Amino acid sequence: MSVKVRFFARFRELLGTDIVTEPKAGTSLAALVSGIAQKNKEGYDAIFDEQGSFREFVILMRNGKRVETADAGKTIVADGDEIAVFPPVAGG
Amino acid sequence: MVIRVQKEDVDIGALITGAKKHGTGAVVVFDGIVRDDDITEMELEAYEDVAVAEMEKIAAEATRLHNLLHVDIIHRIGRLSIGENILIIVVSAGHRPEAYAGSRYIIEEIKKSVPIWKKELTKDGGRWVPGEHGHGAGKPRK
Repeated sequence: MSVKVRFFARFRELLGTDIVTEPKAGTSLAALVSGIAQKNKEGYDAIFDEQGSFREFVILMRNGKRVETADAGKTIVADGDEIAVFPPVAGG
Repeated sequence: MVIRVQKEDVDIGALITGAKKHGTGAVVVFDGIVRDDDITEMELEAYEDVAVAEMEKIAAEATRLHNLLHVDIIHRIGRLSIGENILIIVVSAGHRPEAYAGSRYIIEEIKKSVPIWKKELTKDGGRWVPGEHGHGAGKPRK
């Protein structure tokens, strides 16, 4: 199974982007992002709080559709998914 | 209708000409510009596919709500200098109230939900511009 994870803005600077992973079947979106983020403490701390929960402002998408961070622990990723993780948008 | 995320600048005059559809009584142009806030340049980044899809939805909704005849939205990315265009919105309508309201609707919705980020580059490094809409941002409309 192959899943691509894309970080944007400050998260990209800390963790990179377009990271292709091969998670085990049954891996949740939260576990996937947490596992990747742990490679850089500053990056992890930017996204997760002291309890390991997503920080309030973090936005998640799966294949271009918003996933609430509260649901990320029970959202199971699938082969071919594209996961995006980013801070609040600031365009315009 | 032109909805794009791109590095290149755009010919606003040509967009205005293209916006003058039959029945047009007003064209409103919004041109967001890199302001000199003691910065050297601005770096913009987008989640491009989702940003374009989101702007297309915003354009469609603005057209429906405000009876617009034409909408163009071009959001630039990459490294931009002070004074350069960041975002160009061109709308036309039969009358000015609809054109102004439609343009205003589009810019406010872009700030809420289109996945684009700005970093102000300074002599000492850089700082990401905070989003105005916190956790609610990025939520795709139905």
